[in-house]
Amino acid sequence: MKKYLLKRLWHGIITILFISTATFFAMHMVPGDPLSSEKAITPETRKALEAEYGIDKPLFIQYGIFLKKTFIHGDLGFSYTNRNTKVNEIIANHFPVSAKLGLLAIFFATSGAIMWGAIAAKYRNKLPDYTSMVLVILFISVPSFVFASGAQLLIVKLNAATGWNLPYRGTDSFVSQIVPAMILGLGTMAFLTRIMRSSLLEVIHSDYIRTARAKGLSPKQIFFSHELRNAVLPVITIIGPAIAAITTGSFVIETIFTIPGLGKFFVQAVQQNDYTVIMGTTVFYGSFLVLTVLAVDIVYGFIDPRIQVEK
Amino acid sequence: MSKILEINNLHVEFDTYGGTVHAVRGLDLAVQKGETLAVVGESGCGKSVSFQALMGLLPMPPGRISSGSANFQGNDLLKLKESEMRPLRGSQIAMIFQDPMSSLNPTKKIGDQIAESLIIHKGMSKRDALKESLKLLELTRIGEAPKRLNQYPFEFSGGMLQRVMIAMAIACKPQLLIADEPTTALDVTIQDQILALLKDLQKEYEMSLILITHDLGVVARMADQVAVMYAGQIVENGSVDDIFYRSAHPYTLGLKQALPNSQEGKSAQLIPIDGSPPDLFSPPKACAYAARCPMARKVCLEKAPLIFEASSKHLSRCWLQHPQAPSHPELFCGERK
Amino acid sequence: MKKATEIPDIAELDFSPVPKSEAHEEKMRPSQSYWQDAMRRFVKNKRAMLAALSLVIMLGICLLGPLVWRVDPNLQQLNEALQSPSWSFEGRTAKVIADPDNSRMQTFVPQAGILNSTVENIVTVGLASTVQIHLSWQAPPGAHAFQIYRNELPPLDRSTLGVPLALVRGLEYRDALKLELIDYYYSIVAIDQDGKESDSYKTLQVNVEQAFSLSDAKRLGFDVEVGDSVVLNAHPLGTDSLGRDLLARIMKGGQVSLYIGIIAPLIYIFLGIIIGGISGYLGGKADSLIMRFTDFVIALPFLLFMILFKVAAGNSSENSINIILFSLILLSWPGSARLIRGQVLQLREEPYIQAARLLGGSPLYIIFRHLLPNTLGVILVSLSFAIPSCIFTEAFLSFIGMGVVLPDTSWGAMCNEGVKLMITYPYLLIVPSVFISITVLAFNILGDGLRDALDAKMRSRE
Repeated sequence: MKKYLLKRLWHGIITILFISTATFFAMHMVPGDPLSSEKAITPETRKALEAEYGIDKPLFIQYGIFLKKTFIHGDLGFSYTNRNTKVNEIIANHFPVSAKLGLLAIFFATSGAIMWGAIAAKYRNKLPDYTSMVLVILFISVPSFVFASGAQLLIVKLNAATGWNLPYRGTDSFVSQIVPAMILGLGTMAFLTRIMRSSLLEVIHSDYIRTARAKGLSPKQIFFSHELRNAVLPVITIIGPAIAAITTGSFVIETIFTIPGLGKFFVQAVQQNDYTVIMGTTVFYGSFLVLTVLAVDIVYGFIDPRIQVEK
Repeated sequence: MSKILEINNLHVEFDTYGGTVHAVRGLDLAVQKGETLAVVGESGCGKSVSFQALMGLLPMPPGRISSGSANFQGNDLLKLKESEMRPLRGSQIAMIFQDPMSSLNPTKKIGDQIAESLIIHKGMSKRDALKESLKLLELTRIGEAPKRLNQYPFEFSGGMLQRVMIAMAIACKPQLLIADEPTTALDVTIQDQILALLKDLQKEYEMSLILITHDLGVVARMADQVAVMYAGQIVENGSVDDIFYRSAHPYTLGLKQALPNSQEGKSAQLIPIDGSPPDLFSPPKACAYAARCPMARKVCLEKAPLIFEASSKHLSRCWLQHPQAPSHPELFCGERK
Repeated sequence: MKKATEIPDIAELDFSPVPKSEAHEEKMRPSQSYWQDAMRRFVKNKRAMLAALSLVIMLGICLLGPLVWRVDPNLQQLNEALQSPSWSFEGRTAKVIADPDNSRMQTFVPQAGILNSTVENIVTVGLASTVQIHLSWQAPPGAHAFQIYRNELPPLDRSTLGVPLALVRGLEYRDALKLELIDYYYSIVAIDQDGKESDSYKTLQVNVEQAFSLSDAKRLGFDVEVGDSVVLNAHPLGTDSLGRDLLARIMKGGQVSLYIGIIAPLIYIFLGIIIGGISGYLGGKADSLIMRFTDFVIALPFLLFMILFKVAAGNSSENSINIILFSLILLSWPGSARLIRGQVLQLREEPYIQAARLLGGSPLYIIFRHLLPNTLGVILVSLSFAIPSCIFTEAFLSFIGMGVVLPDTSWGAMCNEGVKLMITYPYLLIVPSVFISITVLAFNILGDGLRDALDAKMRSRE
């Protein structure tokens, strides 16, 4: 187990380095240099700025500096568009908003998927199963921005029709957090529901459930003490990638609902070609996702006793 | 001796893509108290299906019990409601399965899995149930039982798991134990140990045992009574001596000839049974074995064979047992000739 | 088992021996090959067939549609902007009229007095057309200004006058705000010296005619004079804020979306087959090296790097479609390489492959005769799921402005444009969304059907 953990951790670190390197060189392939968007820049200012951002040095030195700054000092530099703001500050200010949204969405997606998938499997080939499978494939196939804009439109029209004043953007109230979180989690929930359903179906037809029935356990006892746990295991393995999907999905949701999260900020930075912010956010998100997947894997190792010896 | 279980005219069908499969076509069986009945037949002959249907373990649909009765201590098992059946399952009638590796929950500790039936049937507390489980593990001769109690199935070998399955099955001292190919998935040496264990426990607990197997060696070793099944029907039924020394059905003969026999010191040739079992989507109306039977007569292809008594309590579903039928030297035909 | 009680007489039974051949005649059901069986199951799957049909229709609309619907998707007609879907292909005949008179309005001298009566004599001046509606009226004493309202339904009371169009200090008003071919109800409310609206109002029902101003007609290349008529294009799905025909744009955008969605998976799965196949077949050091690399690429956060590559290639590059295509391929091949490698590794150990090798089959023979046909099912299924996911990715990127950019368009990019005016003109978002959703849905259902048909294990379970 210990060896396995160390191996996974080592692999994770290499992956983060790989992500950072890929990010760095991708950003340096950009045609022109980051300062070319500046209007009316004198050669002197330009020189000064270049020195300030370190882009006058050779590429590999820049790369070394970037690695050192990022991983030893944890310093992601200053924003290009907003010279006085550190990228670290931007992340510190906006990531918690995204994290809250993401956590809500993940909670909504997994709990919903487990319940929904279980119902679909239990009523296999009956009406609840058919309707939920239709809904699942619909939720998987309709882009989240459609749901998000649709929900917003609905709220606006509802407000107009009833004279209510439901919030449809921002993060001021509980409603304005729950709706984006649900929409953000919808696709993931549908996907997980599918996995839960087929995994529960597999468990239901397995030999050990037959043994449990032969022991005289009631369907309820079988479900809670045998089926549920085994069926949820495959769902848990997907939670790592699901978090990644939800994190990137939040770019759109935050933009549409004007939630001041890191996702919205990232999209803005991309649109403004704010390279340090793009680079910093990518490295941050990348590392975050790698660590999340790692954490989920470790947790999974504790939940499924078989893992500990296998690896 | 009294009958503990009597099955009459059991029919089981499966609805599949290609049509209805008649897996069991009128099964009649009786098990006496304390004795071992072996049900023998090749794969797909309906032997496992019959007893899973009996226990209410058959997935329905696609499975369906179309008719029959099964009297167990005054209850018709096939007519009981699921909730009335549950107190019997695991406490009065227990079952062990072929593949011990997949028959235990991979993510639950062995101790908890054994304790489960004690808790629900005997109303024991979890602590007492675990103590009892420990005794059961020791009874099934598993070494280091206290440690084993807290382990997971993947930490056990196949033979050990089958011992666990047995411990689980006998936990509530059932009157009838159905063992569905209990040794098929195991090494030969382990097989022997498991069979010995089963035999000992049967004696100790005075259980009746139904042993489902395709292995005549196991039958010879364990059984008192034997039922030979073919294509969803019993073709021969009698004591173990009847079956082995006075085989009254060509299929039983075929099975015997396909069995390696080194005890007699001479190298007898193994004779396989030609062909394959009939398609149970549309079972033959006459004798199901006729197509493969070396002794088949025209009547065998035309009319369903009746059941004849070859000797006392030794029944055979074969036209050749007709009092006036032509005789075959290999086939036992009673004392009539 | 009970012994028979009545035994028929031997005379009724034919105990003559059977010839060997007759006895061993076995009834066999016709056997089907794997692909025949899969095909049968697929065709029987109604949902999948429906999905296939809608995909054929979708492809037909996007690829063959432009041959029939010859409207330039980039043609901007500001005077046609933001028309709701007409759901009809019939062109509209419009009368060509003189350019609207935009001369200054007459000066208005308010009459002194207390405002206690309503506006009188509202009339339209000239032709009330989709180009312009020119209203004029007479002021009551005490009126200093007028509030003009427009409604598409007859107003019931003071509170249902409709959209307030303008506050006018004069006796006429020219309305050219998104006029459509319907009846409008203009209500005019007088305002007194203190700026207070009076409680009374006067309403005029105006019947609008389709018309086209001479200069607009000339600009579009019609050689006409005032009084002639021209036939205007219908806009079955409406127009966008620049007056471009949505149907034509849906076709053009669909071509791009489907191009990316189909070509990218084809290429990267092909790459995956080559790399995964080689890796799996060779095994050993080469295999572990290749697989280590794919592991890293798979670990990259996909959408983040799609965006990054887009930025790296220049955000407003003209070649936006191919950049997305390239990035998709670059980031997606490792997934299919890993899949194929797993399949090959598994198959390599199969006894029949071992046997083929023992019998002296050449590697090429083994690959083409055994490996490829047996992985084909997996490849097909993964392809059918890769397509919708690529369409989805493209839509997502274009939606946040990181995908296809002008002059090209795609369904995602159209959604991006539509969402800005969503509250007032929902069809701008709904129309492209419906196209994306149906296409992705159909591909997903088709993929499900394929998987059910090809994967025997899944079939028994679902």
